[in-house]
Amino acid sequence: MLESLGHFFRSLVSLHNPLWLFYPLLAVIAVVYKATKFDKPRDIALASLHFFVSVSLGMLALGLAFYLMSILF
Amino acid sequence: MTDGAASHRSPVAALVFGWIFPGAGHAYAGQRGKAVLFAVLITGLLAAGFALGRGTNLLPNEWWFAPQMGAGGPTALLTPLSQYLAIRRTVDWASPVREIGTLYTAVAGLLNLLVMMDAYVLLAYPGEKRERERAREAGGKTGDA
Repeated sequence: MLESLGHFFRSLVSLHNPLWLFYPLLAVIAVVYKATKFDKPRDIALASLHFFVSVSLGMLALGLAFYLMSILF
Repeated sequence: MTDGAASHRSPVAALVFGWIFPGAGHAYAGQRGKAVLFAVLITGLLAAGFALGRGTNLLPNEWWFAPQMGAGGPTALLTPLSQYLAIRRTVDWASPVREIGTLYTAVAGLLNLLVMMDAYVLLAYPGEKRERERAREAGGKTGDA
């Protein structure tokens, strides 16, 4: 189990993993979406950062949950 | 820009300009800073996706084309080139990088739809954003939808 989790996280941080390409996409989505909600640059920047971190952690948690389900069932 | 000048401008025109080029709707509405931001980000995302797909992922016969057309002008310009390159090049249809590039272009189109609607609302309901900002500052909320 631990070895499988280790494999999961190692594959995530591997430079060859194309999943890294989702981060620039998420950053653009965050900035564009929050720029439609706020007018001041500081508010846009803070809200975008909050959105980026929240969604990144959420997607990581989802990925981990699905990975665990795939090895348990 | 003053409300007086903005009130003479058509929200539908802002919508159409925003579809022709990302950010143009906001420039028409008088928000030049946001116009530049949206133009750079959305066009950049579309171009990055096009490059990741090696120019072969803007094809009208794929269902991805529907969201991609959200960024009307740039997509319309790049589509004939994409069709040409798809014929001339050997395309790895199953490449994960190409798939992510296609996703980039589709998201660029969908984001542009959001930006177009924002420009429309700016001109159709000019006081609404200011009221929301005031309410947010008074209540100390983050303003998440």
